[in-house]
Amino acid sequence: MGKITGFMEFDRQSEHYEIPVSRVKHYKEFVAALTDEEAKTQSARCMDCGIPFCNNGCPVNNIIPDFNNLVYDKDWQQASEVLHSTNNFPEFTGRICPAPCEAACTLGINNLPVGIKSIEHAIIDRAWENSWVKPQLPTHKTGKKIAVVGSGPAGMAAAQQLARVGHDVTVFEKNDRIGGLLRYGIPDFKMEKWLIDRRVEQMQAEGVTFKTGIFVGKEQLDPAIKDYSQKRIDPDQILQDFDAVIISGGAEQPRDLPIKGRELKGVHFALEFLIPQNKEVAGDNKNQIHAAGKDVIVIGGGDTGSDCVGTSNRHGAKSVSQFELLPQPPEEENKALVWPYWPTKLRTSSSHEEGCGRDWSVATKRFEGKNGQLEKLIGVRLEWKDGKMTEVPNSEFEMKADLVFLAMGFVSPAQQILDGFGVEKDPRGNAKATTEGEQAYKTNHPKVFAAGDMRRGQSLVVWAIREGRQCARAVDEFLMGSSVLPR
Amino acid sequence: MQADGQMKTGRDVVIGALLGADEFGFATAPLVVEGCIMMRKCHLNTCPVGVATQDPVLRAKFSGKPEYVVNFFFFIAEEVREIMAQLGIRSFDELVGRVDLLDTKKGIEHWKARGLDFKKIFAQPSHPMSNERRQMSTQDHNLGNALDNELIAKSHSALESGEKISFIHPVRNVNRTVGAMLSGEVAKRYGHEGLADGTIHVQFNGTAGQSFAAFLAHGVTFDLVGDANDYVGKGLSGGRVIVRTPNEFKENSADNIIVGNTVLYGAIGGEAFFNGVAGERFAVRNSGAIAVVEGTGDHGAEYMTGGTIVVLGNTGRNFAAGMSGGIAYVYDVDGMFDKRCNTTMALLEKVLPSSEQEKLIPKEQWHAPLDVKDGGERMTDEVILKDLVERHFKHTGSEQAKAILRDWDTARQRFIKVFPTEYKRALGELWVKAQGNQKQVTTV
Repeated sequence: MGKITGFMEFDRQSEHYEIPVSRVKHYKEFVAALTDEEAKTQSARCMDCGIPFCNNGCPVNNIIPDFNNLVYDKDWQQASEVLHSTNNFPEFTGRICPAPCEAACTLGINNLPVGIKSIEHAIIDRAWENSWVKPQLPTHKTGKKIAVVGSGPAGMAAAQQLARVGHDVTVFEKNDRIGGLLRYGIPDFKMEKWLIDRRVEQMQAEGVTFKTGIFVGKEQLDPAIKDYSQKRIDPDQILQDFDAVIISGGAEQPRDLPIKGRELKGVHFALEFLIPQNKEVAGDNKNQIHAAGKDVIVIGGGDTGSDCVGTSNRHGAKSVSQFELLPQPPEEENKALVWPYWPTKLRTSSSHEEGCGRDWSVATKRFEGKNGQLEKLIGVRLEWKDGKMTEVPNSEFEMKADLVFLAMGFVSPAQQILDGFGVEKDPRGNAKATTEGEQAYKTNHPKVFAAGDMRRGQSLVVWAIREGRQCARAVDEFLMGSSVLPR
Repeated sequence: MQADGQMKTGRDVVIGALLGADEFGFATAPLVVEGCIMMRKCHLNTCPVGVATQDPVLRAKFSGKPEYVVNFFFFIAEEVREIMAQLGIRSFDELVGRVDLLDTKKGIEHWKARGLDFKKIFAQPSHPMSNERRQMSTQDHNLGNALDNELIAKSHSALESGEKISFIHPVRNVNRTVGAMLSGEVAKRYGHEGLADGTIHVQFNGTAGQSFAAFLAHGVTFDLVGDANDYVGKGLSGGRVIVRTPNEFKENSADNIIVGNTVLYGAIGGEAFFNGVAGERFAVRNSGAIAVVEGTGDHGAEYMTGGTIVVLGNTGRNFAAGMSGGIAYVYDVDGMFDKRCNTTMALLEKVLPSSEQEKLIPKEQWHAPLDVKDGGERMTDEVILKDLVERHFKHTGSEQAKAILRDWDTARQRFIKVFPTEYKRALGELWVKAQGNQKQVTTV
């Protein structure tokens, strides 16, 4: 705690955003990290709580009070070390994490929480600028070979941890670039992709081998999942070639909306729009879905929906609307009831600020169109009572729509990968494995471990990093009998 | 029997009762019920939920209500009843001491319990179950036979009419808290102001038991020839305590422990003169008393917030830990006092001759032997110190005091003034405030 009365003297300081009218003209990041002085002032608000709820609220258990104190002392290098001791990729979480730590911040009980995420962002940017982030080479090689299937944040974290203790790690990715949804789900305006390239370089120096364009499975993926692979490898071959396998392929099976008119041209899964867009921004072929001058409706009120809103506005859509099935949440949560847990409250993302009509308690009845081309959406208003929804009589409405994006979440991992390895599944279709005990992260297959969304279902990047780290420890213990990797 | 420590649930209460407890101490859990979030900043005045702070802005954030605590204990009671019902126990009295009902296996088998022997805790008394195993009688403090009853009777005329009286009485170490009931009688009649100085003078001969002269009121002087146990002058409230060696004593008083530990604990006023060495934590939490002693054990002047103490001999280690007010003058016998003093919160300064202090030190930083807030006059250190040493000699005949006074100018230079930084600041602020008040008075 740099300053014991800091929380009484200073206000929360948000990061600086480029204004919406200018930022919708490009796909670059538009958030400027705090200056040295701003970060110092913000860190002075940390109270160094006896029970630091932030540390527990953070899925990777970032040691937040410590790095706040170091930032207050302007010891940025040590702050970066503390940050990296629990988090492999702070530049990812410092940009796109919804910051459950801040929901758990003690100051948030009767004030605005400490801007923990903005401090993390400031630390990691300075660490890279000053070349403090270096490859951490293993002191010896174990000779053990590990395959990581899927290169999202879980796979990357697991691979980095395992390489650092001397294992030979090979990461397999079906698409042409590393990063999973981090690369192709999240738009550049939220996180620019050179950040991933920079980490990949570090990991390569640490001894990780990346193999892109290779799908590991016996059968082709469901057509709802974008697959740019050039080559398929049989899981049996992987099992034969490696001492252990981590499957960390995310939860890519999107939830469909099987209503009348679903087959019309113009109705797409969100990722059918977002992935090609990210490829276009990266310099590949142009996105085949154009929103320019069109009326766009996004179904689903979560983060993926938000990304569709932001991308549509950058295309120059005529109008963008977003529907959510659930009722509108309150603007302010009841702190006494929910703190230190993640509250349900109205969240207005930067994409919403760029222009979007939002509506809640709305269900979509059917899509209508002419000559196979979508023209409108027929919706109905809902009433929620005791957690059950009923349609409000005579409330059907229609809305003009040239494009509809389905962003209603992901139901499960791609079953073809799990089936390829013969991995047992839980009732939700995730790989079945616990996170505690001697069998942690281990599937029913003796050599196969699972981590990230593939094990827990769709979730946050920060949870994926946690699972990757913990799974790495489990694999290291499995191969070596013991592990020095953090739990 | 009371059980305490991490009591949070009805289950905890039941386990305590089964092990024999009749009473239960809860602390953290009800605090959390009131809104405490265990910040562990209680000592910094920055509690952000207003539980442990004097800051009015933060106190306004306190959201607890007494009803919450009441409700919490209803839950505790309810759970206790549920468990009692499961055990087939009808009343709490029947529960106390029933070690046989405890499932001890699970706890003992835990790896952390390896190597611990619980036999005595789980022992079953051999007497039959029909005998009650709970508290069956209350303590008798035997106050009717306390020495104070005699003192009160002998002080009748002083108490009723303020007449000066003086008498001699023997004292033994079974006589505890001598003077507290007498002081109570004084306070009943005259309040905290008490009687005129020296109205009741009692000379005791012998060894006094614990808490001799506790809460002694103004106007009462206890002159003990002999020695005393711990807690002499506890909560001293204006009276005077003297403890001195008998005339036959021929040894060096600097080698003689004359009073026990925690002497003058929480004293708020009055004065004390000890013709020998005190034990540990001398004048702990003293907030206004004046005392002279010829040596102390460890942790002298700990947490002191006011008053003046003079040590004419060696101290133990960690002197002045947590001291935030008042002054201690220490005669540095071997030149090593700075090594034994805890200077986290206090400065060590010289005792200047009065003429020099008047020239060099602004008056706002001068100490006042009577509390400044009570209109105490600011005086130079030399005046304060010499006066106290002289009075110590007068009351006790101390050889050490005599030697110091004989060669005062040399001796003065060996005294070290322990000056808490917080007190220095407060003295300045009080000075400015007093000047302001004076101006107001003159303009009116």
